[in-house]
Amino acid sequence: MPKVKIDGRVVEVEPGTTVLAAAEKAGVRIPRLCVVPGLYEGSSCRVCLVKTPAGRLFPACNYRVYRDEEFVATSPDLWEMRRVNFELLLAFHRIECWQCERKGACSLVSLAKELGVEGIPVCSECPLPPSECLLRRGILCLGMITLAGCEAECVAGGGECWGCRGPITRADVLERAFKRYSELGFDVTSVVSKAEIFWNSLDSFGVVKSVAGRASGGGRG
Amino acid sequence: MTWTLLDRCCDRCTHSVENPCKDYVECRLNGPLCHEDERCRELRRRRLEELAYGEKGAKIKVPMASCTLAMGSEAVYNAVLEAVEKLGVEATVTISGCYGMDFIDPWVEFSAKGMPTAIYARVRPADVPKLIESYFIKRDVSGAFALKERTGGALGEEKVPLLSELDFWRKQYKWVSRNCGVVNPESLEEYVASGGYRGLSKALKVGPERVIDEIQKSGLRGRGGAGFPTGLKWKLARQQPATPKYVIANADEGDPGAFMNRLLAESDPFRIVEGLTIAGYAVGASQGFIFVRAEKPMMAKRLRRAVEEARKYGLLGRNILGSGFDFDIEVILSAGAFVCGEETAMIAAIEGKRAWPRQRPPYPAEKGLWGKPTIVNNVETLAHAATIMAEGAEKFAAVGTERTKGTKMFCVTGNVKRVGAYEVPIGVSVRYLVEELAGGPPDGSKIKAVQIGGPSGGCIPAALLDLPIDYETLQGAGAIMGSGGIVVMTEDTCMVDAAKFFLTFTSAESCGKCVPCRVGLRTMWNILDKITRGEGTEEDLHTLRQMAETVRSFSLCALGGTAPNPVLSTLRHFVDEYMAHIRDKVCPAMVCRALIAYRIDEERCIACGQCAMNCPVSAISRVESGKYRIDKEKCISCGICFAVCPVKVITKVPRGSLGGGHA
Repeated sequence: MPKVKIDGRVVEVEPGTTVLAAAEKAGVRIPRLCVVPGLYEGSSCRVCLVKTPAGRLFPACNYRVYRDEEFVATSPDLWEMRRVNFELLLAFHRIECWQCERKGACSLVSLAKELGVEGIPVCSECPLPPSECLLRRGILCLGMITLAGCEAECVAGGGECWGCRGPITRADVLERAFKRYSELGFDVTSVVSKAEIFWNSLDSFGVVKSVAGRASGGGRG
Repeated sequence: MTWTLLDRCCDRCTHSVENPCKDYVECRLNGPLCHEDERCRELRRRRLEELAYGEKGAKIKVPMASCTLAMGSEAVYNAVLEAVEKLGVEATVTISGCYGMDFIDPWVEFSAKGMPTAIYARVRPADVPKLIESYFIKRDVSGAFALKERTGGALGEEKVPLLSELDFWRKQYKWVSRNCGVVNPESLEEYVASGGYRGLSKALKVGPERVIDEIQKSGLRGRGGAGFPTGLKWKLARQQPATPKYVIANADEGDPGAFMNRLLAESDPFRIVEGLTIAGYAVGASQGFIFVRAEKPMMAKRLRRAVEEARKYGLLGRNILGSGFDFDIEVILSAGAFVCGEETAMIAAIEGKRAWPRQRPPYPAEKGLWGKPTIVNNVETLAHAATIMAEGAEKFAAVGTERTKGTKMFCVTGNVKRVGAYEVPIGVSVRYLVEELAGGPPDGSKIKAVQIGGPSGGCIPAALLDLPIDYETLQGAGAIMGSGGIVVMTEDTCMVDAAKFFLTFTSAESCGKCVPCRVGLRTMWNILDKITRGEGTEEDLHTLRQMAETVRSFSLCALGGTAPNPVLSTLRHFVDEYMAHIRDKVCPAMVCRALIAYRIDEERCIACGQCAMNCPVSAISRVESGKYRIDKEKCISCGICFAVCPVKVITKVPRGSLGGGHA
């Protein structure tokens, strides 16, 4: 049986096993997204790419092992490129988790956290059903413009978000969020003044303020 | 009916499609082989002469390929037929392929016994009667573009150069394109008369292993771009135990600026059919496919016809040339996506699925069409294989470099005097192709950059023109040899705009299967667009580079893997130009619309009003002096006034230099 070495750990697998399955057996976590065994062959999202010692890249979900081989699944450059690639995937995804049925309980969001990609709001982790949304009850919550990171216990416990994890800096996400605030009847300036409490000293707050400025200007015009 | 070379000479010949003779091909030219008869020999000699000079001793050849048709060769053909009848000239009118010299299209070629064969360039239908009269009646060739030989049998011969004396012809090495423009592409007889099918005949006699040996000995590498050794590919497929096996000819040429495959298939289609048959024999396949781009209908038509002709004479079908080898070919039209040129996408398309590439391994040589061992070869590679089998590996390997043998066809387009397809030994410099063969820029301006390898290739600057063209050297400079398209750009080309142009193509052609190519190319295009609008930042350059690297290494197939090359190579060689757009908001080549403005020199303006009449936004109006002036607030920099001004007094200026709100 072929021996596969992944990040230094060696496992023996049946010939024809994918690198992904071998890595699981070896206890090495490889991020993945598009592959659904038996349904979709994978190799589309390029999140699970692993490197051979010769520097060639192959998707772990699709590459089958027939002889002894060695792969790198975790290295700084691989991780960095995976992150850029994943940002590309998010770039055309409407991140409106607060409107999404799954409320962020999806593999996209968990992968974003794993890869350290920002742009996902705290709301995405909110375990409460949409009808319980504080904003709909008229309570000004900053979840829609606050970075993911914490387990959002305050929100789960019924308290509104004060933005302690810092602002999202992606203009497109912010724009949609401010539009949503307006739709729900919140004044943009009140959102910004609430955000000042934690964010006033942050450089990234500038982005939020400029988007907010445009949003309120556009609202009046 | 006239006897043709492909027919039996007398009753003693036992050849038929059902019971083929193994010496059929050799017997056409050097026969008869199985019996001795001076009359049969004479029959062949007379027919060969007829093919050269027509049945009436005089021949007029009009090229019929897409390139010449676009320049009006069909009208010329009709004019020839009419003039021949009117003037009572006894000449056979026939068609041919294209010489690859697109700057003389449409051309005609006259030949007659005792006279030099003459080529006339840029012929208009109205010129035809005059030309025919002077050549066939007055026997005067002084108006010709070039002669093929001198015989002393015509007037004015000394005034016309020989084709073989002209630089762009003399400096080529015609190997695989030897028949292009010479033979009638719709006639199997002319192909056989020019030495065709000797390669297949020889291959069938020596056996598949020796064929693979011969191809390996020649050092032939794939001409589609990747440069994989052809012999090795065939060997790997041959070793596969699974059956049946398939061979595919990749005629899905889609790069902007590349047309050598089209030219070859339209001018010498039988060579490709022969090459594919040899490949099928070598790997042990019994079915071949030619995958042709639907946008090149003439190419498909010629290849289809060639397959039918070959089948009719038993060169395809059962028991080819008595060897026991069965093989047939089907011509398949692509749906016209650039990605179909990628072998796994092509295989999916032939299977009737959506043309999506898939991850390799397994490689097609192991699991290809319908899961069976399959080889995919570029049509030029196959034509090379046929020629190698006929002429021998040594002759092929006599030219080229240490690592890459033989010749390659290149298409030189863009700002050059002689746009066309040229065949040269691999290893000649870029300068040789662009300046000595294509003649450099027409107005004497300076070459700024050369894009090699189409949208998957890279731009190399004028300083690197002396680089030899082969697979490895160009890669070092950030370009690729690719399929062989070369676009020459002069000082009036903006490199950022050029990179954007190629990305416009590749991002539109991305199939969308994998993330880096689908989203990455689009995002890169957005950044380039931002820079050409003068809104870029230095941070954008960093993002662009990072994104290009990610797309290049993360993409599934070669489309995404090579698409960032134009961006990476221009960033490497022309970063100053990017910086000018970003920092100074200036487009040095005066191309990017958002960064330029137009100004009328009122001193020299003749007040004709053409500019004002044609301005789409009414930004040009008459001032007190009676001259015209452009309102910079209204102007959209479309450049129409610049183009229509009869005295050329409108100039491009950097938009910032006008002051006001646009700086």
